[in-house]
Amino acid sequence: MNHIRGKQTNTLQSMHLTVKRRKYLAAILFMLPGIIATIWLRYYPIGKAFYMSMFDYDPVTPPGVFVGFKNFLNLFKTEFYWEAWWNTFIFLGITLVLVFWVPLVQAIFLNEIMRGKKLFTTIYLITALIPMSVNVIIWKWIWDPQYGLANQIFQFFGGSAQLWLSNPDLTKFCIVFPGIVGGGVNVLLYLAAIQGIPPQIYEAAALDGCVGWQKIRYIVLPNLRFIIVIQLILTCISGMQVLDIPFQFASGGPSGASTSMGIYIYNSVYTDLSYGKSAAASVILFLVIALLTVLEMRLDRSEAA
Amino acid sequence: MKEKNGFKAFAYAISIFFSVLIIFPLLYILSNSMKDSAKVYDLPPKLIPDSAQSLSVQVNYDAYKDLSDEELLTMMQQDQIITLISTVNEMQRDSIFEIKFYGTMDGKVVYYSRDHRTEIDMERDNGAFKGVAVSTKTLLHGDRWQKAIKRFGYEFDRNGLDKGACTEFQHEIRNQNVEEVLTAYTLHGTVQGTKFKTNNWLLLESFVHYFKLPSYIYSRNETIAKYNFLPFFFNTALVLLCAVVCQVTICALCAYPISRLLPRRAGNLMLLFFLGTTMIPFVAIMIPQLTMFKKLGFYDNYFALLLPHVLPAGFYVYMYKGFFDNLPGELLEAATIDGAGNFYVFSKICMPLSKPIISIIGLQTFLANWNDFFWAWMVTERQDLWTLNVALYNISKISSVKPNFIMGLSVLTIVPVLLITVFFSNQIKESIAAAGIKG
Repeated sequence: MNHIRGKQTNTLQSMHLTVKRRKYLAAILFMLPGIIATIWLRYYPIGKAFYMSMFDYDPVTPPGVFVGFKNFLNLFKTEFYWEAWWNTFIFLGITLVLVFWVPLVQAIFLNEIMRGKKLFTTIYLITALIPMSVNVIIWKWIWDPQYGLANQIFQFFGGSAQLWLSNPDLTKFCIVFPGIVGGGVNVLLYLAAIQGIPPQIYEAAALDGCVGWQKIRYIVLPNLRFIIVIQLILTCISGMQVLDIPFQFASGGPSGASTSMGIYIYNSVYTDLSYGKSAAASVILFLVIALLTVLEMRLDRSEAA
Repeated sequence: MKEKNGFKAFAYAISIFFSVLIIFPLLYILSNSMKDSAKVYDLPPKLIPDSAQSLSVQVNYDAYKDLSDEELLTMMQQDQIITLISTVNEMQRDSIFEIKFYGTMDGKVVYYSRDHRTEIDMERDNGAFKGVAVSTKTLLHGDRWQKAIKRFGYEFDRNGLDKGACTEFQHEIRNQNVEEVLTAYTLHGTVQGTKFKTNNWLLLESFVHYFKLPSYIYSRNETIAKYNFLPFFFNTALVLLCAVVCQVTICALCAYPISRLLPRRAGNLMLLFFLGTTMIPFVAIMIPQLTMFKKLGFYDNYFALLLPHVLPAGFYVYMYKGFFDNLPGELLEAATIDGAGNFYVFSKICMPLSKPIISIIGLQTFLANWNDFFWAWMVTERQDLWTLNVALYNISKISSVKPNFIMGLSVLTIVPVLLITVFFSNQIKESIAAAGIKG
């Protein structure tokens, strides 16, 4: 009897084992394409960037001469490098001051509207779906010093004609300014968050006479605090990587005034032909963004818990 | 109560203000794209374009009756070219949007052509006459005019075409007299008369011709020469489709084992592995990735354009995992006990239950890749590989392309997009709201 039972558990155990083993095998097979793609398209290239940054990299006969951290030291001594960081931060600063709050305002007031809400939401969505190159074409024409609308309006109010995108002092402003129309995905994100506030809170507040502006000040905004902070960090993360928009507007010019960190990395290779320098700049940018991302995830988790 | 109404009004005011701000630039390019290449530069810019004029020119060839068909045809074709280019070139302020050219003999119309202003502009600025200073001699130099006539088109029949010959002409003088202009450019035939007519539909017809602009600029690329602007739409659609399909399937394949097959600790580790990619910005890896792709031969072809999209985005894996975690476990386990394989359970039970999350991730991928520019721009040299963003950027960089043309192409690009927005706004809204709550 004992003998038989022992045998049974044995087969059961072995069956259990094979099921488990099959499960793990399946798991690996399932994830294999994803794992290969992830390593091939992210982890390997960033490792390669680290590797390249240690060499006076020669793409024809890689890797070239080993120079250790010299690329980094050279980078820190380059004025243009710090200028690129400065430009990137100015871009980010203007974005935060001028553009960041617009979708929030749009969402808050959209929430107060009863009739025509659908229409306005659709209009706000348009921004997300207009291709960037079209937006750039429109605004380049608006900023055109000779024929553009910007100078017409500016002169109407008594200003003198400006060069806008061709003026190094104004170009960053001109590149970020189109974002002031707001709209896009973020409006809907905020709107969803506002609508997620339990209605009981509003009702209780309304009894206490908390409506209109006070409602926004004391109920809506405090409840949105978390999503606003997350959006803020996400804006910073994407702001550090800004590349397409300044490139399309001004290709990094005039006189380097719109060269963001991304454009600097690109130019290091394509105009200075210095792979090592570009890789070193990439590595530093990666470290900064990784730090910000970890911060964002920490916050995300702390709120979830 | 009064205060509340005031607040409501303010909410409407803000919403209307921003809506106008969003829509105004679109109206601005729409109006600019309906102006001609001279008036688009007018100051102050007008929002409503001037009405379009159709110009008819009738030229008589009675003096050349004895010539053979071929010689006669050459003469009329040359006259057509000179008429088209010279009037558009000299009479810039007259909003000529269409030129009909009639060649008559013995009171019959034997030659007829009808061309839209944008075609003439494209031929002059980017086509056969690119970079040519306009004069009779330069226009007829070499085989330029023959190339141009192929695109302009014509009808010729010595025995008379089925077109009523014009009899009433207004010898109307606009800013400049057409007949004087034509005389200055010396036609072969004698100008019988000219006529102006207002036809505002011609403004809309411009868009049909804007569509053909790429085939003028990139005439050496066979695909573009044949299909004009279409390949750019096609490439964009292909990239988006590839991105959506890859994200929806690969992310699900990655998330399913994390949620269902692996022990918790290993699952979390794998999740971290996939989420870790969000820390690595594209900007930091674009150069190593480009050198790698070049080495593998993935440059200037569809591999280069499409392969980067197989990367499973960490956030979508995370979203999928959250969704799979909440699926009813009994259902999946029952199938496993019945002896169904893991892949069967995944594809036949789990995925059909996941339609909501699939649509969310599909839409998010679409929106995220819609503006993709830099990679596509870096890896493509052949024009027929360009996506809309790359094509519009490159075309807008060409100085011989006038602003009304590039804005016309922009309008052509955003019209389908606007339709999508209007039709799918509800789905888009829901999907973003759902993704926002999950994230």
